[in-house]
Amino acid sequence: MERKEILLNVQNIFHDILDNEDIQLTDQTTADDVEDWDSLTHIQLIVSIEKTFKIKFSSKEILSWKNVGEMIDCIETKNI
Amino acid sequence: MKEGDVFTEKFTVTEKIYNNFIDLFRDRNPMHVNEEFAKNKGFKEKVMHGNILNGFLSYFVGECLPEKNVIIHTQEIQYKNPVYLNDNLYFQAQITGFFESVKAIEFKYVFKNEELKVVAKGKLQIGSL
Repeated sequence: MERKEILLNVQNIFHDILDNEDIQLTDQTTADDVEDWDSLTHIQLIVSIEKTFKIKFSSKEILSWKNVGEMIDCIETKNI
Repeated sequence: MKEGDVFTEKFTVTEKIYNNFIDLFRDRNPMHVNEEFAKNKGFKEKVMHGNILNGFLSYFVGECLPEKNVIIHTQEIQYKNPVYLNDNLYFQAQITGFFESVKAIEFKYVFKNEELKVVAKGKLQIGSL
């Protein structure tokens, strides 16, 4: 799957979980930029991403991400 | 706990649970308290409050799992058939997803009555603290 396609799929997950179709993700987006992206929502986002892409993250990987771009990089390395 | 694990419990909607639910939450809709009204709507007798089953789910999460440091993240329930006073309900929950990275566990669950008809089913996601 191409990087852009991964980003679009992740964006759709954000729309669904946060119930906000206006969210536009970029590589630079962080939790501070997205309303309601709190710790509980973060868990729902990760669960949904793992289910959608049929991958597993480690807690270490999740903690290392500084922005959406690094999350997408990580998904890309899982060879989906 | 691991994916595929199954948990079972038996619950009874007793007079005490029913009366306490009404006392606490004040839902005295005639469907729940008026036998005649419920029968006129096609039910066998007065129908128990669907949210009594959510109390059983709370008990399941809080008391029946091997871990005590858990919280409910999300919960959904679909009601399929009515539950009546003193019905015995057979509950089964299975772990359908284990998300180690965020310490979350997803269950699918079902409540069946003595005729083994599904009265409610749904999904539950819990987190480990």
